[in-house]
Amino acid sequence: MSGIDGSRPGDPASDLISDIDLGRVWTGVAAEVWRRHPGRLERLAGRLLRSPGLARALLTTPSLLVPWLIATVVVLAAGAVVTLSTGQPLVALLAPGVAAAGIAYSYGPGVDPAWELSCSMAISDRMVLLVRALAVFAVNAVLGLAATAFAGAGQTAAGDVTFGWLVPMTAVCALSLAVATLARSASAGAAAGMAGWAITVLSSRVASGQFTAAVTRAALVIPYLIVAAGCAAAAAYATRIPRGTPL
Amino acid sequence: MDDDTLIARIADGDDMALRELFGRHAPWLATRLRAVLPAADVEDVLQETFLAAWRGARGYRPEGAAGGWLWGIARRQAALLLRRRGPVALVLPDGLAVGDEADSVVTRADLAGALAALEPAEREVWRLMYEEDRPVAEVAELTGVPAGTVKSRAHRVRRVLRAGLGGTR
Amino acid sequence: MNVEITNLARRFGRNQAVAGVDLEAGPGVLGLLGPNGAGKTSLLRMMATVIPPSSGTMRLLGRDPGAHEPRREIRRRLGYLPQALGYYPGFTVVEFVEYFALLKDMPSARVPAAVAEAVERVDLGAKAKAKLRTLSGGMLRRVGIAQAIVNNPELLLLDEPTAGLDPEQRVQFRALLRDLGQHATVVVSTHLVEDVGAACTEVALMDAGRVVFRGTPADLAALGTDRDTGDAPLERGYTAALTRARSLTRAGGQS
Repeated sequence: MSGIDGSRPGDPASDLISDIDLGRVWTGVAAEVWRRHPGRLERLAGRLLRSPGLARALLTTPSLLVPWLIATVVVLAAGAVVTLSTGQPLVALLAPGVAAAGIAYSYGPGVDPAWELSCSMAISDRMVLLVRALAVFAVNAVLGLAATAFAGAGQTAAGDVTFGWLVPMTAVCALSLAVATLARSASAGAAAGMAGWAITVLSSRVASGQFTAAVTRAALVIPYLIVAAGCAAAAAYATRIPRGTPL
Repeated sequence: MDDDTLIARIADGDDMALRELFGRHAPWLATRLRAVLPAADVEDVLQETFLAAWRGARGYRPEGAAGGWLWGIARRQAALLLRRRGPVALVLPDGLAVGDEADSVVTRADLAGALAALEPAEREVWRLMYEEDRPVAEVAELTGVPAGTVKSRAHRVRRVLRAGLGGTR
Repeated sequence: MNVEITNLARRFGRNQAVAGVDLEAGPGVLGLLGPNGAGKTSLLRMMATVIPPSSGTMRLLGRDPGAHEPRREIRRRLGYLPQALGYYPGFTVVEFVEYFALLKDMPSARVPAAVAEAVERVDLGAKAKAKLRTLSGGMLRRVGIAQAIVNNPELLLLDEPTAGLDPEQRVQFRALLRDLGQHATVVVSTHLVEDVGAACTEVALMDAGRVVFRGTPADLAALGTDRDTGDAPLERGYTAALTRARSLTRAGGQS
């Protein structure tokens, strides 16, 4: 369809070069000129994941994840500041809720405009979901640890609170993901995750009188892990076959 | 938009300008190269030429000689290709095989370009008198024109070639 | 045979979208015609491995898409253009095509040349680095076609590919289809009968979830008579085939 070669049939010059495909020559030039050069992070991710496509999908998240990232940084930073001044480990209570929202937004329909097409790709929507969810979790964990370390300097039993929220965070993220994949809606997942976490915190407070009970009581670890495993299985089941855009 | 502006845009990273430049100049460059190189090599040289133009556009001095600049790049790329390939079996008219073969080939390409500027009748005179080495009388008989006409055509041929091979184009 | 489908069915809740389709296709361009709701899109989505069938068997490119690894192999050799593509507004044309080339697991060394060729083939070379949000509907459709063909697919599935293209672009697109049909199986779902006539080597007509006609465009045109509605022989044939199929169903034909 291209009109890149300007020769006219019958013109002696174009007869001489009739065996030269100028369109192909231009394509070769364009390939180099239009080429995108992946950044260092993407190249590293590509080697780690052993798939340049998966690395690109990971770092090219649907647009809502960037706002989420910004919101996470802001929320955790604010939480750290409050924790420093009041002594209440706000970061530990906020981190799981924020992570649940982010995880839900790594899932397709409603968030990814080209979702239908993504469901026909060799690098499957499920692989991309897994990698993105893990990345969201890892980023949240790192940010949370940084915020806690910043705010927790000098607190006793800091260890419990510094790491204690990681297990509930896993459970809440798994819940969020399960609801998102089953309901095929990222918003539903985010809402379920945040609501579930709020309920857990409040009921632990009612049960034990302490706000931080949800993250510090050792007895809760097993239930959290069971919830996490169950929800992860549900999410895996929901994504076992591709399910395109709802018609 | 003139060539100088296009090249300035290319230096700024405008790939559309490169596409436009390609559309304007690739055909005649291909014709010149095709006179001395096989089709596949012409394609390779053209590709390298325009990539080199893309990368080196900043070094272009705008003085209205875009064609000459491009041809200069093409010659270098052709010579590079031929040197990489090793010895090439080519038929060259005697007296043109100076320097190494790669240079000879691109000189022949220059010659082809200069010859393209001639009228068909003049090109015929060139071929008969200089490539086939026939005397004026014989050429006059073969082409059916008076000897005087043959001589003036030959004079014009020498003038055009001198300009074509000696100048920037 | 790149496509071998036997008794394929798909239901959504109580809606039987595809009700027992048998289809075989080799290299060439197959036009999938039919009114809205006939099941064309659902059939295409099943062939694109985007949704699983409710029942029946399907073999694509000699493989079973129900199993994980064969499905991956099929998808590497597949090109799909959905009816509603959706796009990333901040991406350029080249970035979009390259993204899906990578997701189709193309070897990264081959990607730049494949992307350049696909973009030029749909005549978007002049807009290669334009952001998608600046493009018209017809251009976006062509971007969709470019990502579908970037991996030189053996099975190309296009759902309403000419939506938004002007007549001249449709002519160029048909030439592209004929070209692609030389080596690959191209299935084009469309309601534009004239697109089918010009580019397709074979036609399948669907109605109410079944294939009611299979043959060449000439065969379909031959079915038409002066009493059928339509401005062209192919349209009359289309109407005739539909009428015949529906009267057969009403007369209590086999399900």
